[in-house]
Amino acid sequence: MDPIDFFGNHVFRMVFLGTTTIGIVSGALGTFAYLRKQSLISDVISHAALPGALLAFLTAVVVFGINGQNMLLLVIGAVITGTLSAFFANMIAGQTKIAIDTAMAISLTTFFGFGMLLLRIVTNAPLPGKGGIQDYLFGNAASITRADLTTSVAVGAFALALMIVFWKEFALRTFDPVLSTMLGFRARLIDTLMFGTIVIAIVIGIKAVGFVLMVAFIVTPPAAARQWTNRLSSMVILSAVFGGLGSGFGAYLSISMGNVPTGPMIVLLLFAIFVVSLVASPKRSIIVAGWRHAKARHALKQELLAEGESR
Amino acid sequence: MKMDACETRDLSVAYREEPVLRRVNFRVPVGGIMGIVGPNGAGKSTLIKAMLGLVTPLTGTSEFFGESLNTVRNRVGYMPQSASVDWDFPTTVVDLATMGTYGALGWFRRPGNAERKRAMDALEQTGMQDFAMRQIGELSGGQKQRAFLARALVQAPDLYFMDEPFQGIDAKSQDAMIGVLKELGAQGKTVVIVHHHLGSVLDFCDHVTLLNKTIVASGSGPETFTTENIRATYDSSNGAETFLTAAE
Repeated sequence: MDPIDFFGNHVFRMVFLGTTTIGIVSGALGTFAYLRKQSLISDVISHAALPGALLAFLTAVVVFGINGQNMLLLVIGAVITGTLSAFFANMIAGQTKIAIDTAMAISLTTFFGFGMLLLRIVTNAPLPGKGGIQDYLFGNAASITRADLTTSVAVGAFALALMIVFWKEFALRTFDPVLSTMLGFRARLIDTLMFGTIVIAIVIGIKAVGFVLMVAFIVTPPAAARQWTNRLSSMVILSAVFGGLGSGFGAYLSISMGNVPTGPMIVLLLFAIFVVSLVASPKRSIIVAGWRHAKARHALKQELLAEGESR
Repeated sequence: MKMDACETRDLSVAYREEPVLRRVNFRVPVGGIMGIVGPNGAGKSTLIKAMLGLVTPLTGTSEFFGESLNTVRNRVGYMPQSASVDWDFPTTVVDLATMGTYGALGWFRRPGNAERKRAMDALEQTGMQDFAMRQIGELSGGQKQRAFLARALVQAPDLYFMDEPFQGIDAKSQDAMIGVLKELGAQGKTVVIVHHHLGSVLDFCDHVTLLNKTIVASGSGPETFTTENIRATYDSSNGAETFLTAAE
């Protein structure tokens, strides 16, 4: 499909802009999750967002009698259960001898199990406006409305603004928590803000991408960006660019190819960017590094053999 | 009475139910280098961490220049044991040193040219200026420690805590760092340093504290660092014999 037709179509435009927004925001904020070695907690959070989004839907429909698939409501519900799941995992790991990976798996499956239960209840109940609610699992980029886009942009911009305002505090807390505490910066406050922004980055993608694949948007762009730069600021920018490009181009491709789901298409593109970064980055290319390594080992071997012969 | 740089009163720390420090009364006079010496597991690092609030004490209090830590934070610096940071973190040596200015900047304010200039000056002091633009993971062990020392210098506290800064580093780095520490002492700054190499304690420490869960002896270097006191600190099995035999 040529670009003029593509951008002339309202739905396509919404898909393109919506996913690009998600890609930029999650790429930028995912950098902090990557650097804090908390990539997997993003997976816990995204799965745990399911019950939150559904509870928000139920509350809206049953209690207030309004449209339950409002993006802002969904984000609020998802932020609450997403954050709870992260605290729950950290609490298990902190209070017991259970390791963090087990704790995260327990938290993820418990929240997700509860979410699946709610999903069945919602689909079986005669509730208004429940159509398309199963899309929360795997996402449906075509369901992005103008209102959803506005909410995503506003909430995403808010999270990015927090990151910029607290840049120095986020960076120091991520790199050297001991110094951060020693200098008098409140650890709990910074952590709450930082994880708050990461949770926002995850949940704004739920409607378009779904809970299951959202973690790729958080994890892959920073991992690719790290290959190209040794500065935090450029890593965040590059990661946002990779996220945005992968998402926008992925959206375009998925629609042009016809009947290809957008989220998975983007995830595969992000992976392609990651692979190219691993191979082609000038400083950290795995091929160059592997070649140097082999050469050095070969030289050492020759040296040792020569030493043995001359003895 | 002359004020102390820091002082603990009856400081005790236990990891779970195992006591590591028992009612320690530790004081450091203003100016000069205080070495803390003792066997493995004597609680040397724990003493520093408890004073700085990084470990919660079971009993006791700590004061710095007669005040609580919160009121004088900017006057106290700390260099942890071979800093347990992520060496692949995207940061350069000069960025690392600039972090020393963050405390004085406070919330929100960003470091500017003046802060970077101070970071470069400190890197020069520790002989690391040529490595300013390197990523921190590209440094050797000694260079890493010198970069962290530069960061502590940028912070410009009056009291420095250093936990085994010379562990596993090359002689050149150690000499460069000792030179800086001596200079700090001469300027009237106070340095508290955990050090485990008995042979070099008196080379640079003005004061010595011998610690093994409690303070065995504490005071000026030559008077405190005696064979008798060292024996009392390291009960027979524990490693000081080689040093003592060589000294005799």
